[in-house]
Amino acid sequence: MAEMSRRSFLKTTAGAAAAVPVLAGGWQHLLSAEKPGYFEREFGISDALCRKVLAASLARGGDYADLYFEHTIGNWIVLEDGKVSRAYSDVALGVGIRTVKGDQVGYGFTQELDEKAMLNAAAIAATIAAGGKTEPAKQFAWLKTANHYPLVKLLTDVPLTAKLPLVQGVNEKCFALSPLVVKVNATFHDQQKRIMVVTSDGVKAEDLQPRNYLTAAVVAEKDGKREQAGWNLGGRRDFSYFSQAAVEAIAVKAVADTLLLFDAVQPPAGEMPVVLGPGVTGVLLHEAIGHGMEADFNRKKTSTYCTMIGKKVAEPFVTIIDDGTIPGMLGSINFDDEGIPGQRTVLVENGMLKSYMHDRISARYYKVKPTGNGRRESYQHYVQPRMRNTLMLAGPADPRDVIRAAGKGIFVQNVSNGQVKIGEGDFAFYVSQGRLIEDGKLGAPIKDINIMGNGPKMLQNIGMVANDLELFQGGTGACGKGGQAVPCGFGQPSCLVKSLTVGGVRS
Amino acid sequence: MNKEMLELCAWVVKTAKVAGADACMVNLDSNRSVEVSYRDHRPENIKEASTKALIVRVFVNGRYSNQSTSDLRKDALRDFLANAVVATRLLAEDPYRTLPDPKYCQGRAEVDLELADAAYASFTPENRHELAKAMENACLQAGGDKVISVTAQEEDGNQESVMVASNGFEGYSRGTYYAAVAQMTAQDAGDRRPNGYSYAVTVCRRDLPSPEEIGVQAARRTLDLMGAKKIKTETLPIIIENQNVGRLFGGFLGAMFGRSIQQKRSFLADKKGQAVGSRHLTLVDDPFIPKGLGSRLYDNDGITAQKRVMIEAGVLKEFFVDWYYSRKLEWEPTAGGPSNLVIPAGQRPVKEIMKDLGRGILISGFIGGNSNPTTGDASIGITGQLFENGEPVQAVAEMNIADNHLKFWHKLIEVANDPFLYSSSRFPSLVFENVVVSGV
Repeated sequence: MAEMSRRSFLKTTAGAAAAVPVLAGGWQHLLSAEKPGYFEREFGISDALCRKVLAASLARGGDYADLYFEHTIGNWIVLEDGKVSRAYSDVALGVGIRTVKGDQVGYGFTQELDEKAMLNAAAIAATIAAGGKTEPAKQFAWLKTANHYPLVKLLTDVPLTAKLPLVQGVNEKCFALSPLVVKVNATFHDQQKRIMVVTSDGVKAEDLQPRNYLTAAVVAEKDGKREQAGWNLGGRRDFSYFSQAAVEAIAVKAVADTLLLFDAVQPPAGEMPVVLGPGVTGVLLHEAIGHGMEADFNRKKTSTYCTMIGKKVAEPFVTIIDDGTIPGMLGSINFDDEGIPGQRTVLVENGMLKSYMHDRISARYYKVKPTGNGRRESYQHYVQPRMRNTLMLAGPADPRDVIRAAGKGIFVQNVSNGQVKIGEGDFAFYVSQGRLIEDGKLGAPIKDINIMGNGPKMLQNIGMVANDLELFQGGTGACGKGGQAVPCGFGQPSCLVKSLTVGGVRS
Repeated sequence: MNKEMLELCAWVVKTAKVAGADACMVNLDSNRSVEVSYRDHRPENIKEASTKALIVRVFVNGRYSNQSTSDLRKDALRDFLANAVVATRLLAEDPYRTLPDPKYCQGRAEVDLELADAAYASFTPENRHELAKAMENACLQAGGDKVISVTAQEEDGNQESVMVASNGFEGYSRGTYYAAVAQMTAQDAGDRRPNGYSYAVTVCRRDLPSPEEIGVQAARRTLDLMGAKKIKTETLPIIIENQNVGRLFGGFLGAMFGRSIQQKRSFLADKKGQAVGSRHLTLVDDPFIPKGLGSRLYDNDGITAQKRVMIEAGVLKEFFVDWYYSRKLEWEPTAGGPSNLVIPAGQRPVKEIMKDLGRGILISGFIGGNSNPTTGDASIGITGQLFENGEPVQAVAEMNIADNHLKFWHKLIEVANDPFLYSSSRFPSLVFENVVVSGV
């Protein structure tokens, strides 16, 4: 490795927030996507070195290889019992080296960015192939993309003292809103992930992916009973997003949702119409339907959607997209983790299944262009087809008509802990906030129940889609697959599912 | 003991104090892991890497922060520690945040937990490939013409951990693990493609079941899901298969932590000494099981590990209280979290119990679901087999159970004789009566 600069020493330390006075003013130019070269400047990663490592990873053949450099700084501050008395920081620095042969993958990674360590990792990756060597591209050209999450200021340049009032504000506001509030936890997290992808076919791509959230978790007590709820806002935001208005919105929603639970009932168990409310219920779309449209499951014929391309899977008013280009959303990416530009992929168009979500391996298998869905948790993980921001587009109906049409059933406002079995399509979701629907009107709040169903059946059973598409503005959404968590976004208009199983206690 | 790691930790403690820390605790972990998976008789993924991580807990003027880095060069660490101290000074004072009183770190058991397999060094890449291949072949054969896809994966690793603190604490541990998993997707009627798996995790290679056993078991578990459907909502006895008990019990466990209690997020806060389950429910936290996946001599605070009966014949005896929350609660600390959790095994195998129950559901998987630690309300999706006269008659899916933990564990009527040994939660299959299983 080239001599690491003094600044790099500082940046590989976790106390980045505190290091700001030392560094102030020096980094602003790095905000510009037009001036790549961070890993070369800071860690001496030259084109010649990349080519050498790629050549080593293709020394036994293989179709393709890539290098994924990552330098991530994450900070958390936590308020508990009225005090910000806890802070965590973490720095991740390393490179993942991947060799691909057909659908086979060899992978090595190292935390040390020197030539020897990288060549060792490349030699491990190379073992997936067993033939004559493949030559990587002679030159690398920077990939130019739009920036879907521009920053006014680097997150590492925001001092701790600017973040403290956010969690303190959430705490004060929550207690001010109701005398029933007994405990508040507030957390602010920011993460700055710098990546560089260098591919054997000559692409170099560099990005700075911000991620942040402000959360409130509230416990309230009434007549000897306790309830809990929470809310958060965030995404890939500039620090200025976390305004006083954002602080208040989080507190108001967290407290209101907690207090509502004191009046909540458990609905009867059994099959009934379910209305998904707008916004965060999109996580159900993500789990129950989205995962089955990730191309690896279809390539292996383990997804229930593997025979359905070009077929009708829903009513004509249903269109579902996966979009990596929505400004500031948590699942947005300028390019994916194998150097394919972030883009908008139409999965279901007017009820017809149009496309899966592809990485390079599956795109090659299906002889289509990659869709920019190749993602990974970190340099320690290999690429999988993953969702970005998955949304159902708005339909024609008035949301009030959707509730009216349900007649008797439940209205789901917030869900969590979703899980799907890809092959069967069966899913289960926990409803953390919702309402009974009685005589076509919203009734008592409900809580602590599961809804279950089958993804393809649910898609066919969507009877109405309203015109109130809402994007979830949260920053905590992480999707798990194959032991890897990646940030994803959701969006959903109100829609009527004619029948799902509701797991209450009263039969 | 790894002298080099220990010396680096001691240097970090010293350097943090020079930088202005009043106290400091350092963890240094070094891991190596290898992974090989097979599909279609070829390697699907091969992965290998080594990682290091240093975590430092810094205490400055009654303030606290926790910072981690993988850059272990001393120059870099010196800056890292200086910055950590500066950052910590900006936080609020917290009188409860200290290193533990050394008296709680004394009397460490002098036993060999047997956590490192002497045979690990001789485990070769060829061994790994053979293991994965054998699992794949066995699963393919047992799955027969129903197989759509089979994946078999072997993963193993070794790790060393050192913990040093300025209160005099020093600890070292070393371990190995082997994990083997086979999973199969089968063609069922229509577009349904059930997926099932079987796995084992052990400290020693010789304790892994044979790859053939894991492969065949994965096929059997997948074929058991064929033709699954939901049945009418019914109140039935249920048996939760050993390896799934941990997921349901997790909702109960979440309320047993000092943090949950102090933060008023525990439905168990005022239940110590009371019956929280039937007389069949006993739970032991045992850190000293040789080759146990959760075995340890001290916890994350450095507090000396002890064997504790947490629940005895249904009565809640203890909570998991770490040092910090013990100070906030003004209680004695116990342990920051579970080591090996044991529900003592019963007398009879599941098959025999099924015969006595007549009609019921054997739960072989959970899906989704949640448990509210504040209220104890829980709801979770299930898959499994409806049985009658002790024999499976129908696979079930898209069904759900919902209850409150404070009621549910009173419905426990028997514990089977089959503890699951491939987890730090060594739970046998559990039998409950009068459970509403909702479906159509």
